[in-house]
Amino acid sequence: MNQQLAGYAPAPVAARMENHGHHMVKVAMQTGNDLLARVGSMVAYEGFVQYEPNPPAVRQVAREWMTGEGAPLMKCSGDGLLYLADYGADVVVINLAGDSLSVNGTNLLAFDASLQWGVERVKGLAKFAGQGLWNIKISGQGWVALTSRGTPIVVDCGRGEDETYVDPDALIAWSPNLKVKGKRSFKAGSLIGRGSGEAYQMGFSGEGIVVVQPSEDSTDRLRARG
Amino acid sequence: MAREFQRGHKAKISDLTAGTDLYVGVQISAPGLTFDISCFGLDASERLSDDRYFIFFNQPKSPEESIQLLGAQAGDTESFRVTLDRIPQQIQRLSFTATIDGAGQMSQVASGYIRVVAGGEEVARYAFSGAEFSTERAVMLGDFYLKDVWRFAAIGQGFDGGLDALLKNFGGEVAEEEPAPAQPQAAVPSFAPPAQASAPPAFGAPAAAPAPAPAPVPAPAQNFAPPSPAPAQNFPPPPGATPPPAPADPAVYAAQTIVAPVNQPPYGQQPQPPQYGQVPGQQHAPGQSAPPPPGYGQPPQAPMPPGYGQQPPSGQFPGQPQAPHGAPQGAAPQGAGVAAALQKYREAPTGQRWTQQNEKLIRVDLGVADQPILARQGSMVLYQGKVEFGYKGAGFAGRVVGNATGQEMQLMRCSGRGQVFLAEEGTHLHPIELQGDAICVSAENVLAFDETLQHEVRRIEGHGIPGGALFVMQFQGTGTVIVKTHGVPVVLPVTPTTFADCHAVVAWSAAAQAIVSSQVRMRSNAYAGSTGESVNLQFRGAPGNFIVVQPYEV
Repeated sequence: MNQQLAGYAPAPVAARMENHGHHMVKVAMQTGNDLLARVGSMVAYEGFVQYEPNPPAVRQVAREWMTGEGAPLMKCSGDGLLYLADYGADVVVINLAGDSLSVNGTNLLAFDASLQWGVERVKGLAKFAGQGLWNIKISGQGWVALTSRGTPIVVDCGRGEDETYVDPDALIAWSPNLKVKGKRSFKAGSLIGRGSGEAYQMGFSGEGIVVVQPSEDSTDRLRARG
Repeated sequence: MAREFQRGHKAKISDLTAGTDLYVGVQISAPGLTFDISCFGLDASERLSDDRYFIFFNQPKSPEESIQLLGAQAGDTESFRVTLDRIPQQIQRLSFTATIDGAGQMSQVASGYIRVVAGGEEVARYAFSGAEFSTERAVMLGDFYLKDVWRFAAIGQGFDGGLDALLKNFGGEVAEEEPAPAQPQAAVPSFAPPAQASAPPAFGAPAAAPAPAPAPVPAPAQNFAPPSPAPAQNFPPPPGATPPPAPADPAVYAAQTIVAPVNQPPYGQQPQPPQYGQVPGQQHAPGQSAPPPPGYGQPPQAPMPPGYGQQPPSGQFPGQPQAPHGAPQGAAPQGAGVAAALQKYREAPTGQRWTQQNEKLIRVDLGVADQPILARQGSMVLYQGKVEFGYKGAGFAGRVVGNATGQEMQLMRCSGRGQVFLAEEGTHLHPIELQGDAICVSAENVLAFDETLQHEVRRIEGHGIPGGALFVMQFQGTGTVIVKTHGVPVVLPVTPTTFADCHAVVAWSAAAQAIVSSQVRMRSNAYAGSTGESVNLQFRGAPGNFIVVQPYEV
């Protein structure tokens, strides 16, 4: 039995965050280098890691959070190895190294607490009644883990002179310097997804990238679990 | 359940495994010998018509990454990842070869094998030993080839020449070894001598006149690469991690498939402008350690295989030979940051009308062929360019299917110029290109298709089917249909006793210009009652027909 399972043993640590397979991220925790992760995303840990749901610092920043129930983030601190996953979604690990990124809230899995971050609301877009599209802008020196339902794709916006339009349910992240605007429908008489809630698109223009997942399922599974 | 192959044995891949994402491992144990193991992507006439499909240590992946060199791992001397359904049409055969690097002959090989692993399980293995060979210096180990479907053949044929002779055999260009006077002496000392004792001898005497032996090792080019300042090296190592020594990045993409480094930068004189995202100065002599490409959370590198110092980083976890995320990336990481981390998810290069971006995402370029497409509503995840989306009035499938089953099959018409990305709920997408033939697809598994295709909706009636009938769209003509499946489907040949659950069946061939109704017949109550499988479809057809079934019952 051990032989078959041996292949799934974790690889030695080489970085703050690493993929273990497609669907799991392994975070090397150290004291003084805290991590903010989605509540409920922890699947395993090794060592001494402590969790503090909805810490005051987060509450401060995330006052804008749409639901008013408090931010679905927990602060993880301590020493050890922490494994995070989101219901089998693909996990993408990014070392920001000074770059910045806007991430759709449901697609954010974890990030270093030392990063600068803030909650923004995409203006003009109310995806569903009572649940706006909120996103988190992250920048600084550190690591971010995103989730994607299926292998994501990165599209360069600056390639064409035309704008890039994205289904908001499929959107994962984008460069913050892009100009974003909501778009209701395309032209009179042509409706996309008539009555299916997909009449909104988000248009991006400028130089930068947009990351999109191959699924329009934006259900927040971690939150739905309650 | 590995199947042991003997020389000359052949089998359909589909009989071995349902998967198309394969890991091919080659292991050769021969004391004192080093091997170059490479993969040739050949066209229908078995020529290497496209140099980019010669996958070897200097070109570790094909343009759309359907074939990737992974390096030594899991006991294999060399390994590849082959994604069969992403291999472009013109590539009809993948030939895996091993050539001796340096002196030696194949009879010195103690033992070796080529194996195919799918889904973590070894499904085929062809083992050989040196006793089967004599003075050959190369061997064609095994082939994947396309004959209706992809098949695997154990070849085991020796070849007298080395890699260059093999290349010539496949019609590739073998650049003549250039005299090396251009190699400045000064470039040599700036690099530490390679640590490996087994490094190619070409390192030793760079100023020597043209190497007589056509050592098929472009390694010198990499090791004498211009020691220009490395802009990407200044990133701090990731916090809390010890930087593993990074191997040299295999980013040298020569424009042609060449064995000898003809188009390489004139050693150390004029650094060429970076090609294909290559960052000058990211090539390191193997003995040097360098900061890791921080954008990738890679585990420490496996020990470098002997022979050549520039294996691609085998960013694979043990036991997960198919993990594409850890696969080495040809484009050199530009350092840390968003762009580097997301490099592997970049858009595939354009050109074709339908491009499979990954297994769950399809891109259609409406500008190519300038024909509109019809797609299921809501399947667009992103578009660029001037694309118009029109509501495709019911009247055809929508109304029929919608009214009868209560499930709307609504389409939108995408026209104009630009690229549209289609996906739906993370289902696997399969482009099926029709060239005058016909296929029937269960209506709920149609994602998109060319408007040029003739399509009609058929009902398959039978009591027991929810909604009273199964709706099927028959496509005919020339164009592409995108079929979606939940999970990896199985393709079964139609035999006199082929049955499928009507909820799980995805598509079936309508035979060449045949009418589907004659092949499909309801067998209601075939296994009534106890099993709960009350409704099945039976398929009849001439040999050569197939059905596609998904592991998911709607």
